[in-house]
Amino acid sequence: MSTYGARHHINHSTPFSTPASTTLFRRLTWEGTIPLEIRVDPKELPANSDRGLECYYVQAPRVSYLPLLMPEIKRFLVDVVFDEAAAESLKEDEWWFESEDGAPLKWHWPIGLIYDNHTISLSIRPSSSSSSFMATPLRLVLHLASPPSDKLLLSPSAEACKQAFMGQLKEADFIRWGSTKRMTSLRKADQDGIWEGIKDHNFDDYWRVASKVTPTTAPTRSQSPPPSSASVHGRPPSADPGAMPDRDGAYSVRSVPVRVYLPDGPVLQDLVPPLLEDGTPNTLTNYLCNTLPLLFPPQPPAPPPSRTKPNPQPPVVPQLAYPLVQGVLTPAEAEMAWLGACLAGADGWVNVCVGLHKDRRE
Amino acid sequence: MAEISGASLQAENGLAALEEYKKRDPSKVVVRFKAVGNAPIMKQNFYKITASNRFQAVIQFLRKELGWKAGDPLFTYINLAFSPAPDDTVSNLYKSFATDGHLIVNYSTTAAWG
Repeated sequence: MSTYGARHHINHSTPFSTPASTTLFRRLTWEGTIPLEIRVDPKELPANSDRGLECYYVQAPRVSYLPLLMPEIKRFLVDVVFDEAAAESLKEDEWWFESEDGAPLKWHWPIGLIYDNHTISLSIRPSSSSSSFMATPLRLVLHLASPPSDKLLLSPSAEACKQAFMGQLKEADFIRWGSTKRMTSLRKADQDGIWEGIKDHNFDDYWRVASKVTPTTAPTRSQSPPPSSASVHGRPPSADPGAMPDRDGAYSVRSVPVRVYLPDGPVLQDLVPPLLEDGTPNTLTNYLCNTLPLLFPPQPPAPPPSRTKPNPQPPVVPQLAYPLVQGVLTPAEAEMAWLGACLAGADGWVNVCVGLHKDRRE
Repeated sequence: MAEISGASLQAENGLAALEEYKKRDPSKVVVRFKAVGNAPIMKQNFYKITASNRFQAVIQFLRKELGWKAGDPLFTYINLAFSPAPDDTVSNLYKSFATDGHLIVNYSTTAAWG
């Protein structure tokens, strides 16, 4: 067991926790986009519409929301597709989106989550091949009337979306620190600014405020004098008597805000401590093995080395499922605290979408 | 040959595992309602609610108990801190936020911590 722990400590000193790389991964998350094809339901297209142009294509930010796309879609429909009478009778509060397979799309889910959730639901459909769908846009059907309010749960307005977003930010805050003090101590202008940053897709505006509530991955500041041991790194285990853990650090949170999405549901959420009881970082694999042991069976350890096999490999366990975070196939050894600080969505949540491997060999 | 059948067996196992996780949790958790501000107090404020219900069902239950009509304002919070997403399940909220074995749901007629 001690060698296991020691291996993890070496893993600690990766370049992934420097301020520069934190900013890089936050930037990559922020700049991620999704190709969308938005087609007005042909049955609902008003008379005299220019058919053949009823599709709108957009590269939408992962961290954005469908209600924030409505102004540009409306502009397109009014300018290009509809005649004047139809344009005037447009009621945006009746709009709603549906996926190709007929599921209403939630207003309050980030667009990147809608896409990843669609990707994993394809992973259990027999017809689709897992290599071809990535290149095609996500096809959405836009309905202009009769929204199924019981399934959408929110009105399509940007204001309702903002309220839901703020709720998610506060819930994430509560998960991390056991209170929403950090969020509620933001001035009103900052609270509004964080949403404006998403609306305008402005990384700097968003992070100017978000950095006040999101944990850091920077090395501990309060470690002085600098320890001489080469094994010491930025994130000492809490048992280390000489080290004061960084109050705002990713590894000091009570729990990382994480939700796991399975194909066609359910969504699972539980407390996810950043460190395990032995002080080693909680990894994605460890978390998935605990939460979904049937899909992520624990990896048995390698047999002890012998003269014939000085470097024995652990036995191969068939891989049933894979995790996507921000659309990225995420390495098993990714640390939950790091994911929470660098790959969370704009609402503070790490969304892990789990897909199934098809009939192919590992 | 063995490899091919092994691979499809693996996909079968994955689907079987998914079915297992899709089963609805029949257990119940205790939800404690607490009025905030001018909101009317309920005669009974502890209820057992099926864990697999979505929070939306809790809101609807509360509206019914209070005799609220459609459109009457009602704001709901967990632990006096935040409004959960209506599609989150009672089970998820309970696991993350339960206090002394209860999920505390505050309700108000005006936006409080919004």
